[in-house]
Amino acid sequence: MTDKKWVAEVNEKNQETKALSTKIPHQETQAPERRKFLKQAAALSTAVVSASAIAAENLPPNVPDWQKTLGSPVNTNPYGLPSKYEADVVRRRVPWLTADSIASVGFTPLAEINGIITPNGLAFERDHAGVPAIDPNQHRLMIHGLVKNPIILTMQDIKRFPTVSRIHFIECPANSAMEWKGPQVGRLQFTHGMTSCCEWTGVPLKYLLDEAGVKPEGKWLYAEGADAASMSRSIPMHKALDDTLVVFGQNGEALRPEQGYPLRLLTPGWEGNTSIKWLRRLEVTSEPSYQREETSKYTDLLNPKDPDKSNLIGKAYMFSWIMEAKSVITFPCPEKPLKKQGKYVMNGLAWTGSGKIKYVDISLDGGINWKQAELNGLVLDKCWTRFSLEFDWKGEELLIQSRATGEDGYVQPTYAQLRKARGVTSIYHNNAIHTWKINKSGEVESVQI
Amino acid sequence: MFKYSKTIKSIVALILVVSFHVSATDYQEISIKSGEFNRGKKASKEEIRGWHIDISPGHNLPAGKGTAADGEQLFDDQCASCHGSFGEGVGRNPVLAGGEGTLKDTSRPERTVGSYWPYASTLLDYTHRAMPFNAPQSLNWDDTWSIAAYVLYLNDVITDEDFVFNADSFAEIIMPNADGFISDQRPDTNNKRCMKDCKKPASIHIIPALLGYASGAEDSINDDKSTSADNTEHKIGKQIYNTHCKLCHANGVAGAPKIDDKATWGERLKSGMDGVYAHAINGFTGKFGVMPAKGGAPDLTEAEVKAAVDYMIKDLEQ
Repeated sequence: MTDKKWVAEVNEKNQETKALSTKIPHQETQAPERRKFLKQAAALSTAVVSASAIAAENLPPNVPDWQKTLGSPVNTNPYGLPSKYEADVVRRRVPWLTADSIASVGFTPLAEINGIITPNGLAFERDHAGVPAIDPNQHRLMIHGLVKNPIILTMQDIKRFPTVSRIHFIECPANSAMEWKGPQVGRLQFTHGMTSCCEWTGVPLKYLLDEAGVKPEGKWLYAEGADAASMSRSIPMHKALDDTLVVFGQNGEALRPEQGYPLRLLTPGWEGNTSIKWLRRLEVTSEPSYQREETSKYTDLLNPKDPDKSNLIGKAYMFSWIMEAKSVITFPCPEKPLKKQGKYVMNGLAWTGSGKIKYVDISLDGGINWKQAELNGLVLDKCWTRFSLEFDWKGEELLIQSRATGEDGYVQPTYAQLRKARGVTSIYHNNAIHTWKINKSGEVESVQI
Repeated sequence: MFKYSKTIKSIVALILVVSFHVSATDYQEISIKSGEFNRGKKASKEEIRGWHIDISPGHNLPAGKGTAADGEQLFDDQCASCHGSFGEGVGRNPVLAGGEGTLKDTSRPERTVGSYWPYASTLLDYTHRAMPFNAPQSLNWDDTWSIAAYVLYLNDVITDEDFVFNADSFAEIIMPNADGFISDQRPDTNNKRCMKDCKKPASIHIIPALLGYASGAEDSINDDKSTSADNTEHKIGKQIYNTHCKLCHANGVAGAPKIDDKATWGERLKSGMDGVYAHAINGFTGKFGVMPAKGGAPDLTEAEVKAAVDYMIKDLEQ
């Protein structure tokens, strides 16, 4: 058999497997379907028994099937794919959230992420008019406006500047937006999945701006994408010259199309949409441009419950860029319930757009008492930070929460504090302490208290 | 002795600094100076003009003009299928008009062009750059001014339908909520890092999630309930339809036959399936509207486009 035949055959098999995997009922299916599946499972109990009998054949003392036959040839999938048993680990949409699937959002399955790096295929995706298919050879970055030398750069030009690699989170300011008025969605993927964290490689923006020569009156930068929305934001020059990057690399490979291929801006710690994807143009200006995405959208309408702030009712914050400290427990969570009593290590993610995470505290009793969690692995600037805490579950109900503190001393707020300051109509920047309720069965529910 | 201990102290301090530096996870800075690369080519005025689309309150207002009266028909043809004839919004599409005085509504404020947007330039800018949703940057400047005038007319910001909206009259338009924005006041919460007895147990009331675990995640391939679409071909067709065709064919945008409009589809099919496929694949401009080639998704294969067409007309024979 020639190599080609092998590949064709294996690809065909993969296709079959893929088709099958979409049909496997799993925990993420909708409740009625889950019930239907349980009924079917009960009716087909003989089938279930035989299935478990097959499974047992691969357990000790038996030698598993996959050890008795040859595996797939090297490079069967030249790019590489996750195991077919990981078919449930995908981004998901909430269809009722947006008018269509083009200007929409795909949520990262946070419960399945290990460590602090989000694989490129799982990094959350927010597009305002779909994902353009850009030929990098025909992509250009134009820098003009209040500059001495307006320039047009090719991708090759850009890659020849000095480059850096930085690990930073990106979070959409609408992350947790569905939860302002009360708990609405019941799983981690949808309560917190509009964030991801990758290693980004690119050129510090200051190199490109120096090449064009910013005039003294240039105080703002207008950034624009090459998508069908020409997605655009105004960025103040101090951020542009600080840690903003123009990136082409993501976790070691080229940016994925849905992350802005071939070029995007990265404004670490700031609202995700300021990291303009498919970056095609930077215009140095003296004033902000007041684009749709910084006036009509991504402004925070206030209806504070605090009587001292009644003068702010009906007003809105504009240019609320920084993503404030936030954290969430990723195990246990609705997708990852507890199976039996005993010792566990709960863990989660914390991040802040202001710098590094200093502390994460965990409460098991709904915020009455707190224990300091351990920070694990790298603790980086504007980056996801892993935390963990050992606990012994004796089958009781628990209300578990995590609370992040940044190195600037800012402490993640409670829902009561956020609503007191802003009301419930802000849509954006909900960074409240989140509560999971562990039931006696070990299942985990999303609640607010 | 005193001196000695001081030296020890400074050595310890030095060691601490060094070891802290070594164990810290800050990135190394790059030492290469900027401004010495001479990369890229000079952007010509003409090149800049083609891309310089942003319009801000006092900057880059386009040539051309329009009135609300001119804009009405354009709006009905190009905008109303998503935004409604009166800007009331269809489905989850943005509401453009009304909502006056609702920003202080603590549960359902209506953020429209009239009730919320601070600058009229944003309306011109966004209408030209991103609208109509399926054909961005297709409106000429006269049409852009006209549609913007009509949207402002729907919001009672422009009250005379013959008011000529252009760069000269732009400054006369004052948006009702121009003063509605303040700078970011965050941090506006002041939580403390309390560790013990931080609140009374009796104060805890548990509110469960409204939608719970089954909060409506899509898996469009999995949730296919219709019997006629129960074969593999229609599943693929449905997926493509949902991604690439639905926007226009669900609402009749740009003269697109709605998916359930048997009469209109029947007319189209008189010329045979080959003609319908050809129009879908290559694009077509007819007297009723425009079909972009492959629905504006050039990456689709011809077979995928055909599958989407088959899915849309699957119920016609029944």
